[in-house]
Amino acid sequence: MSVRSRKRIDVENIIFTTLNYLYLIFLCVVMLYPMLNTLAVSFNDPLDTVRGGIYIWPRKFTLYNYYVVFNMDTIYNAFYISVTKTIVIVITNLFFTSMLAYTISRKEYIFARFITVVYVLTMYFDAGLIPNYLLIKSLGMINTFRVYWIPHIVSAFNLIVMRTYIKTIPESLIESAKIDGAREFRIYAQIILPLITPCLATIALFVAVGSWNSWFDTFLYNSGRQDLSTLQYELQKLLASTMTAGTRGAQAGVTEAGRANVGGSNVTTPQSLRAAITIFTAVPILLVYPFLQRYFIHGLAIGSVKE
Amino acid sequence: MATNPLVQQNRKKMVWSTIVAQRELIIMSIPLLLYKILFSYVPVIGWTMAFQNYKPARKSFFNQEWVGFDNFVKLFTGINGERFLRDLRNTIGQSFLTLIIGYLGSISLALLLNEVKNVKFKKIVQNITYMPHFLSWIIVAGLVSTMLAIPTSGGIINDVLIRLGLIKEPIMFLSEPKYFWWIVAFSNLWKEMGWNTIIYLAAMTAIDPTLYEAAVIDGANRYQKMWHITLPGIKSTIVVLLIMNVGHILQAGFEIQYFLGNGLVVERAEIIDIFVLRYGIQMGNYSLATAAGIFKTVVSVILISIANFIAGRLGEEKLI
Amino acid sequence: MKKTLTLLLAMLLVLTLVACQPASKQVTPTPAPSNQSGTGTGGSQQTSGLPVLSPDNPVTISVWTMTNSSAPASDNKLTKLLKERLGVTINYEIIPPENADQKIGVLLAGGEFADLMGTTDLNIRLIRGGALIPLDDYLTEDKANLLYEHVRPYWNRLATDAGDGEKHIYVLPNYNRYYGEIVGGTHYGASGFWIQKHVLEELGYPSLENMTLERYFQMIEEYIKKYPTIDGMPTIGFELLCAPGREWVLTNPPQYIAGHPNNGGVIVDENNVATIFADKEIAKNYYKFLNLMNAKGLIDRESFTQTNDQYLAKLATGRVLGMYDQRWAFGQAHDSLVAEGKYERTWVSTMPVYEGCTPYYADREVMNINQGYGISVSCKNPDVVVSFLNTMMSEEWQKIFTWGIEGEDYFVDENGRFYRTPEQREQQNDLVWRSKNRLEALYDNMPKRQGTYSDGNADSPGNQPEEFFDSLSDYDKNFLTSYGKKTWREFLNQPPDNPVYYPCWQIALPDGSEAQVASQQLTDLAVQYLPKIIMADPADFENMWAQYMNEIKKVNVKAYEDAINEGIQQRIREWGGGR
Repeated sequence: MSVRSRKRIDVENIIFTTLNYLYLIFLCVVMLYPMLNTLAVSFNDPLDTVRGGIYIWPRKFTLYNYYVVFNMDTIYNAFYISVTKTIVIVITNLFFTSMLAYTISRKEYIFARFITVVYVLTMYFDAGLIPNYLLIKSLGMINTFRVYWIPHIVSAFNLIVMRTYIKTIPESLIESAKIDGAREFRIYAQIILPLITPCLATIALFVAVGSWNSWFDTFLYNSGRQDLSTLQYELQKLLASTMTAGTRGAQAGVTEAGRANVGGSNVTTPQSLRAAITIFTAVPILLVYPFLQRYFIHGLAIGSVKE
Repeated sequence: MATNPLVQQNRKKMVWSTIVAQRELIIMSIPLLLYKILFSYVPVIGWTMAFQNYKPARKSFFNQEWVGFDNFVKLFTGINGERFLRDLRNTIGQSFLTLIIGYLGSISLALLLNEVKNVKFKKIVQNITYMPHFLSWIIVAGLVSTMLAIPTSGGIINDVLIRLGLIKEPIMFLSEPKYFWWIVAFSNLWKEMGWNTIIYLAAMTAIDPTLYEAAVIDGANRYQKMWHITLPGIKSTIVVLLIMNVGHILQAGFEIQYFLGNGLVVERAEIIDIFVLRYGIQMGNYSLATAAGIFKTVVSVILISIANFIAGRLGEEKLI
Repeated sequence: MKKTLTLLLAMLLVLTLVACQPASKQVTPTPAPSNQSGTGTGGSQQTSGLPVLSPDNPVTISVWTMTNSSAPASDNKLTKLLKERLGVTINYEIIPPENADQKIGVLLAGGEFADLMGTTDLNIRLIRGGALIPLDDYLTEDKANLLYEHVRPYWNRLATDAGDGEKHIYVLPNYNRYYGEIVGGTHYGASGFWIQKHVLEELGYPSLENMTLERYFQMIEEYIKKYPTIDGMPTIGFELLCAPGREWVLTNPPQYIAGHPNNGGVIVDENNVATIFADKEIAKNYYKFLNLMNAKGLIDRESFTQTNDQYLAKLATGRVLGMYDQRWAFGQAHDSLVAEGKYERTWVSTMPVYEGCTPYYADREVMNINQGYGISVSCKNPDVVVSFLNTMMSEEWQKIFTWGIEGEDYFVDENGRFYRTPEQREQQNDLVWRSKNRLEALYDNMPKRQGTYSDGNADSPGNQPEEFFDSLSDYDKNFLTSYGKKTWREFLNQPPDNPVYYPCWQIALPDGSEAQVASQQLTDLAVQYLPKIIMADPADFENMWAQYMNEIKKVNVKAYEDAINEGIQQRIREWGGGR
């Protein structure tokens, strides 16, 4: 390479890198602002927030919103349940999904295509609220812990992602293992699993976040068991309790007239409480992510794909 | 089709011996197959609701009044039908736009992130860009609504545009139907862009580093590397995701349309799911809701079959 | 083969390990209400027909209720009281009303319910779905005497047909059944065209009699000229709203302006025939007027795109001079202004009407029909639950629910009148204090004694006149006196007796019926066209209105009107007296 072209490449590099950095920084600001805003609102006096104009700094600092959240003593148990449920779901998911993904990634497997189709189709239909409910009921899973994870052991999306990833592993590796006499399960456990850790980490994250944020299943199936309630559901209910009653059936305004005297006024507002709740639920995930992230950045440079 | 009994016999033997040979794979997978059938397919019996005038109190699915295709007819005709078809159009339009913008955004971001050498900076950027994913749509809708408002109500976008002299009067983004699809697409982009790069970045780690080394030796610049190595490297991921998303074209979200939609923009804002909520669930009309659901499924299945087929034809990785 | 077996075993092992996940406590089935006392413990109680609740016979009652209130804290003092005095423990299943539809659907399909069901569903799905038992047999002198007294004068109204052709009482009404004097009305809860107090102050407290739309907006216009900004932000003349669930802010006014009370989407004439008013002159004139006001810049441009939160936020800034709304709906904004001491920025209600019409904004509080507690078919011991409800109906317990514990939450003066200290009033605002000291979630759907107690005290602090006046700020006291009034309610008309069938919005439209669909379509059309019409150039008004009318013609309005008329006739036939 001539000296000149090298210099040009250097200049090009610098321009590119600068622009890239600028763009990424811009993105960060755009993404970060709303989070900071939510954070600010959560620490701002609710009645003050209602007047608008809060940006990234609280105007009238208060811990009241968090005080309300932490004083719901149902939260502590709910937190424990949410954590347990998430862990269980992640472990079962990772194990079963990867195992199934491995089997359907094998070209020679006679049922591979069939299983794939069966799973993929499930992404596009839903039997409906009532039929699903009746199934769960007939399996005796209403008001149980089981209902949180058993119906969600393998999801089609994760399955496909894993299968795709597994397919990038060269056949030669597997063949040589087979020649050495390894059986399928062993190949899966000892060869495949270690090689797909970035994928496992990714799926773990997806599944964890999904499980952490879900509340509808609690609402539908477990609303009768306070001790099995999850964090998000409790927070949903807390949120509902600060809304002035009457977004629906509001021509029934007179229904509420009597209510006005019974409850008194609320000093926290839905907006502020929502902000506190968002921060509260996002923090655990934000703490977990960095640990999984190392798998993406460093990748697996162990030469997994070296022939 | 050989009628020769001997050949048939052999065939049976072959199938059986394959099964025996692959029995480990079978044990590892069939239970999960049955599991899925139980949880996803069995409840589909409930689709009979679409052909009935379903009243939950009558309990069983077989204790109901049958109305044949009435519900489907109701979906597509009359004032109801006008509404449904309009919502169908909106759903497809929003999905499509969201898809395109989403792909461009997240793939390009993944590529750019991949180019960042400073590990710390890369990590920080990643962590920040995925944060919006955790905000619930209620909050996002509120933020979007504020940003698009007039300057005195905190509308930053209008504020900036006016200051730059590009417009004189604030644009009422939320009152004009024509902006709505874009609002949906960009809100989705903002919320999911960083998150979606996770899959692409993970896939990029599977690309053989030696390919890059070889490219450098051959004098490739970064754009060539991106184009010839990185992109092809994650191509299978992109294609698979694309096929899946095409199947989801009738799923344009829900929350953002619910919170930001209003009477002025309903022409462009209302989507099928909202229709189902309003005229189906909230009225206890599960039959109608189910009928709409079946319609969505049929369309989705047709679409992914086509997409899958095309992918195969183009030599790409197929979904199934 | 050995390997395969090992594989199978390994999988089985994993599955069992994973399946035996510990729940936080041992998984016990939902406790059914246990009633060791059986029916009729020997003697010693006021009603012989029902079991006595006492700590010696602890019972657990499961309660499913639609409410926005949250469950009590575990150390709630009233929960303790219920256990100590009556041996009753409550298991709550709280359902936010906006999600209730789906829950009700699956419950009906599944067929299992909690003992006590608190429903505010206007479509009475639980009743029609056969989830509740008829209470008639309990509502007698010798069984649930207090509950009987509660419903007796209104039996015909409350009895509902669950679909089998017979009429029974399934749900005990939760609100607006009055005892004694109707003192209630110091706090006025419902509709009006609200106007900021400062506007009236500036104009020298003009008389609000014979208010018209013209005069209402004129006052606003004058004020804006004087004060184009408030606290540095532009003043807003009139605020509208049509966020989901609040569309009625946009669609209700015409009936009031025409001198009719709130019958939902219809106006009922003197022959008791209902017709919708959305396509009539009274509606057209109202929106035409708004259209002109908009052209003058008096209406907030963001009215139609804002969410309820944003609407409230605007109101709370104190720069909104006027709006049509119902008092309870903007309570949050009011409280925010009060918390900042900006009393002059809060509002008072006016009643603009067309010439020749008499204002009928205020009505007599309507008793809620089919909203409240019912007992489900799954309840194993309805006797116990009825006994519980009956006990809760006593003055003693009602006072505990509304006023609190004497000496802690309120005091009694030498004349036997209840009152509160400022600290006691303050703590009512604290969500956390309330979760420890009040049972709002339980009480919300409970039958209540409203009005006055036998000792003359009002049913709740907000209605106790002295309490009310005392709790006012100086500004408000001054304001009221300038108008020669003592309560906010006095700014509105004295409500005449409600017509027998009133109110029509309470008439339940059958699920999936043409009428229900039509009603929804009308709302949807209103929300789609009215904003455009109001914001349009006045020259385009006629055209756009014609378009809107065309769309309305496509809706099966007749089905809706027929359903309402049928409801009216039915009410006229069957109501009008107690048993």
